[in-house]
Amino acid sequence: MAALLAMEPRDYSPAMVSPTQQATTDEATWIARAQRSDAQAFESLYRAHVDRVYGLCLRMTGNVSEAEDCTQEAFIQVWNKLAKFRGDSSFATWLHRIAVNAVLGRMRKARREQDRIQLATEASISPASIGDTGNLRDLSDAVDRLPQGARHVFVLYAVYGYSHEEAGNMLGIATGTSKAQLHRARRLLAQQLKQEGFEA
Amino acid sequence: MNDKHEDKLMSDARRLATRISPKRDLWPDIATAIAQPGRSRWTSMLAQAAAVILLVGASSGVTYLAVYDDQPPAEFMPPNLTFEQASFGGQYQLGPDFQDARSNLASKLDRELTRLSPEARAGVEENLQLIRNAINDINGALEQEPDNALLQELLLKTYHQELRVMRDVGGLTRSVMSRNDI
Repeated sequence: MAALLAMEPRDYSPAMVSPTQQATTDEATWIARAQRSDAQAFESLYRAHVDRVYGLCLRMTGNVSEAEDCTQEAFIQVWNKLAKFRGDSSFATWLHRIAVNAVLGRMRKARREQDRIQLATEASISPASIGDTGNLRDLSDAVDRLPQGARHVFVLYAVYGYSHEEAGNMLGIATGTSKAQLHRARRLLAQQLKQEGFEA
Repeated sequence: MNDKHEDKLMSDARRLATRISPKRDLWPDIATAIAQPGRSRWTSMLAQAAAVILLVGASSGVTYLAVYDDQPPAEFMPPNLTFEQASFGGQYQLGPDFQDARSNLASKLDRELTRLSPEARAGVEENLQLIRNAINDINGALEQEPDNALLQELLLKTYHQELRVMRDVGGLTRSVMSRNDI
């Protein structure tokens, strides 16, 4: 790698591959192999993406156990649907869409939102704030206390950077509804943080 | 709440961690789940294709009964049809007799359809389209799993179903003709 970095910028020899390009190539190879039922390649895909998928599930559910289950369910579904992946969107986006569906399906099926609120209230620190520090932890806790619809849109749009259209598609709601939920989330967050003396 | 605070809120949100490591390794459970034998990725497609065949069969029956007028339909069977000669091995090729019969019936189909009522014709065409979509799906699956005996059997049954519908159209039209003659 050091030799690659030391190369002159204008050296376009085939050996010059950036880390990003290398990662993309690796991922494409893993996907192709996993599509042929190569579990080892699929594990590589899992290792590359699990933190982001788990983070998304954790922020959407606010519950460690639920997030673990959703993450596992999402990857199992990915394995089963991998033959249908044609690369129309990035693998990460496709994977996130499946993870969001896993979260929504689980919430609908078990109606665990009430349990989630209970657990979040009992916890001194929100599970989703594990990866955050300082004032961001307060924000993370506040996000976790948002109502489900507003929280899901806020996580996808504001935290993970998806557009309203993409978030709406993932959540099965209209783009306008996504915008309205974001507005609601921002208003509720500002109120919460103000009450707690946190300057947003 | 003003714009400044809103901007700060959103910029802080973008700094929240998007990558969080699970406390335990989730892979072993996933590996166990995906290693379990049983439902292949084609299973749900096969179930759908089977459902289509059942639907088409039922629909064909209903269409047949709706048009049939007590008289048994005249037998319409091209001579020397040998459905059993369709052969499906590793290469899943149709037998020549089967292909001849299929081509023969298909060539007559348009003419036969014109003798049916618009409703019955639409029903038959819809059924045939469903069957042909199923055939395409199964052929696509066979390209990836050429030796899958279940797929081969399903393809054979689906071709038979197509022939049966085309043959029934012949029976229906003979029935309509004899009724009109009376």
